[in-house]
Amino acid sequence: MSHSILITGANGALGLAIAEYFLTREADCRVFLGVRERRDRAEELAARFPGRADLITLEITAPEAWQTALSEIAAKASPLAVLINNAGFHDDALLANMSQDQWSRVLDTNLNAVFHGCQAVLPTMMRQRQGRIVNISSLSAISSPAGQTNYAAAKAGVIGLTQSLAKEAARMGITVNAVCPGYIEGGLPADWTPEHLKALKMQLPMRRFAKPAEVAAAVFFLASPEASYITGSVLKIDGGML
Amino acid sequence: MPTRQRLKELMISELMLDMSADDIGDDTPLFGPAGIGLDSVDALQLVVMLEKHFGFKMADQEQAKRILQNVNTIAEAVDQQVAA
Repeated sequence: MSHSILITGANGALGLAIAEYFLTREADCRVFLGVRERRDRAEELAARFPGRADLITLEITAPEAWQTALSEIAAKASPLAVLINNAGFHDDALLANMSQDQWSRVLDTNLNAVFHGCQAVLPTMMRQRQGRIVNISSLSAISSPAGQTNYAAAKAGVIGLTQSLAKEAARMGITVNAVCPGYIEGGLPADWTPEHLKALKMQLPMRRFAKPAEVAAAVFFLASPEASYITGSVLKIDGGML
Repeated sequence: MPTRQRLKELMISELMLDMSADDIGDDTPLFGPAGIGLDSVDALQLVVMLEKHFGFKMADQEQAKRILQNVNTIAEAVDQQVAA
């Protein structure tokens, strides 16, 4: 029986790359693409893998939406084996000027949603006595750049959650790991000018941004049976930036 | 297989305990240094184990505290449910 994988934020560059990585390398997986309003790119991907990739509407900040999504998955396929908490966004501002709303929305989406997701899938994974959770944190969790107090705090929180949950779930055959990508092609703010991007690349040891597939490869490995003794790990994928 | 024996064997396999069923007395405390030394993660696993293998659903944390004392208290709760 194929095993089910749920990827949140699956309409974004990294979410799509992770989904495609699984779909092209694991013949027996069924991938559920967690999306909200924006779903055009996920639909295109699903169309390329008929019967193996399904879109699933998931408001990740709502605990009840997770229950609905998991019921939908269980009705269509085998119980969830892999959860990739990938959805996220940032809304940068200096703390002195940051609104309460900017703080709360970034924390809700990037950290609280990871809590909701992990809590929702744990009973299923515990019953199966196996499971893989990979949380997408960020290099910002470690480098904490100015202007990202909300995002850096949320992503650092994801690391703390990951490491603590890893200890709780280890004996149940469930691993929980985090990756911290740096700049990823296709995942950069649309308003950054070509000049700014060029200057940014000059500061990077590899003088290029990560390809989404380069991050997806690490996620794929952490979710694989071969990574069975890796849990609570935090892997930075930044081309040597830090 | 009697409930107590089955519970012990399940605990050993599900909680990955490095001991045999004979090492677990019927009234040996499951938690704390005077007993087997299980922790809160094991408690959670015990709850899942009882539901999965005996269809026993723990109502709340208070009930869990009462029942998850030792093999005797668990077996009595499980057998009572089967009888009911």
